[in-house]
Order: sequence, then structure tokens, then C-alpha cells
Amino acid sequence: MSSGRCAACRYLRRRCTQDCFLSPYFPSNNPQRFASVHRIYGASNVTKLLQRLPTHLRSEAADSLYFEAQCRLEDPVYGCVGLIFLLQQQIHSAESQLIKTQAEIAVMKSQTQHPQTQPFRAISGSNNLLLQQSDNDANLIFSNQVSSGFI
Amino acid sequence: MGSGSSPCASCKLLRRRCAKDCIFAPYFPSDDPHKFAIVHKVFGASNVSKMLQELPVQQRADAVSSLVYEANARVRDPVYGCVGAISYLQNQVSQLQMQLAVAQTEILCIQMQHHQEDSALALPTQMQHHDDDDYKPFLLPTTHNLDNISQYINFASSSNVIQDPAATVKRESLWT
Repeated sequence: MSSGRCAACRYLRRRCTQDCFLSPYFPSNNPQRFASVHRIYGASNVTKLLQRLPTHLRSEAADSLYFEAQCRLEDPVYGCVGLIFLLQQQIHSAESQLIKTQAEIAVMKSQTQHPQTQPFRAISGSNNLLLQQSDNDANLIFSNQVSSGFI
Repeated sequence: MGSGSSPCASCKLLRRRCAKDCIFAPYFPSDDPHKFAIVHKVFGASNVSKMLQELPVQQRADAVSSLVYEANARVRDPVYGCVGAISYLQNQVSQLQMQLAVAQTEILCIQMQHHQEDSALALPTQMQHHDDDDYKPFLLPTTHNLDNISQYINFASSSNVIQDPAATVKRESLWT
């Protein structure tokens, strides 16, 4: 029954049996899914990869393979690794911003507690201004920078 | 690299003659057989060959590095591969953005407190000379201004990249 073929068997132009291994993960209503995965990994590799897994994990594995295949098709040089580096960059940037902001808070709080030592001055976000404050708390925060550290 | 010297790791694994123009030879030297083995296991030699052929020569080294990276990730985590790392990192980004938002809110609160204190100390006649619209966010003693804080909060660069796999990331070479 050609109309009942899964996306994999339709793409590979073969008969789709009742116990077709790939049909649960590549339904006929999404031909693009198998096309992408096949283009990057190949049907036999995908089958081998999924066969090595317990049945209850195969669906998620197929999803992740599809995602990575799509990333690779969009970016043939870096694939999903490009996303990893972008996220690492975002983490580094957010950490730096957080450290800076926490230092500003420390300075502002110390000025609130000891207003006689220094008049309040709105923090512009400039690093130079923070360094001129020579606040011990700010120095501690800067010296305790957390590195992003890839897993 | 193939002629006259030992075959590259790919040709050695595939048990074939390593031609002078072997597409794998520059990227899979014979002294690192594991590198090609893992890429072949996940992607297959013919798929890798096709992918490299579709790329300009100057981009192939980076492509091989990223393929090796992905293949390693898939072998380490056969269910999620790189997607596991992406989810983890995305989580970290979200958490940091939340912490940053909290910290920035705290700064705004402290600034508002200072301004309120300053305005409380100022002579009442001075306040009448200013346009209320300029000082509105800071002069009001109530907590209504807290509702407008979100407009002042600058979030880090966009998150949720993972939800759009179509996003293309252009990168300089990262492995040199």
C-alpha cells in the first residue's frame, strides 16, 4: 500500500512493511524530516544509531538527529557547533555584565551606608568610574569572576 | 599527502589506495586514526566526502573540526548528542539573564531611593521650576513606578536561539 509508506520508505522508494524500523520516527506527514537526516547521516547510519538505543529513547534520539541535521544544512561549516559557540559567548557576556552590575550595587550600597565618606554619584556603567571608587567590595567581585568553562 | 607516504587515516580505515588528491588526507592524518573513525561511525565516509566537496577549500578544516566535535558528542551521548550541550548552555543563559534582571532592578530601586531622599531634602520651591514629565519616574513616592521598571531593564543578547534551528551563525576559524 504505497499511500501507507513512512517518509523513509517513500524517500528510499521501497516497500514499507508493517514492522518497518524507521516508520515510528519518520512519519509520512513530514518528508522533510527524513530527507534532512538522510542527507547528513544516511539511512543506514540512522538505523544503526537508533537500533543501539532502548526503544523508549529512540524518538528523542531521532528528534536530536533531525535538529543537528537541520543545523548542518543551514550552516555546512559549523552546523550546531556554531550555536554552541554563540551560547558560550552569550554566557560570557552575561557573566561579565552581571559581575559589573553586582559591583555597582556594592558601591551604591556602601555609599548609602557611609554617605559622609563620598557624595552619591550616579553610576554610568563606566568601568573607569568603578575603578576610581576603589571600593573593596567591587574589587572582590571583579577578582572572583566566574569563567564560563565549556562542558 | 597520499603519494609516496603512508595513506591517510581515512584510506587506511577504508582500506583503499590513498590518492594524491584524496579529499580526506589534509584533515585526517595517519597519526590520528580515531578522528576519522569516529566521524565515519556517525556520518559515514561518503557523506563526509560529499559535505567537504560542497565547501570551499578554506572552510573544510573548520567543517571537519565541527564534524569531529559533533561525532564525539553523539558517541558520548547517543540520544541527544550536541543538543544536550545546547540545552544545558541555553539554561545557563536564561539563568544568568534572570540574575542580571534582578541585579538591574536592584540598581534602579537604589537609584530611586537616592533620588527620593535627595528630593525630600530639596526646598519645595525648587521643585516647581522643573517640568514634572522629566522627573516623573523618580519623584513619585509611591511604588507605582515599579511597574515601569521593565522598560529600563536591558536583557543580554537574544536567547531562544535553539528554538530556531534556521538561525545561521557565521564564525571565524575557531580551531587555529
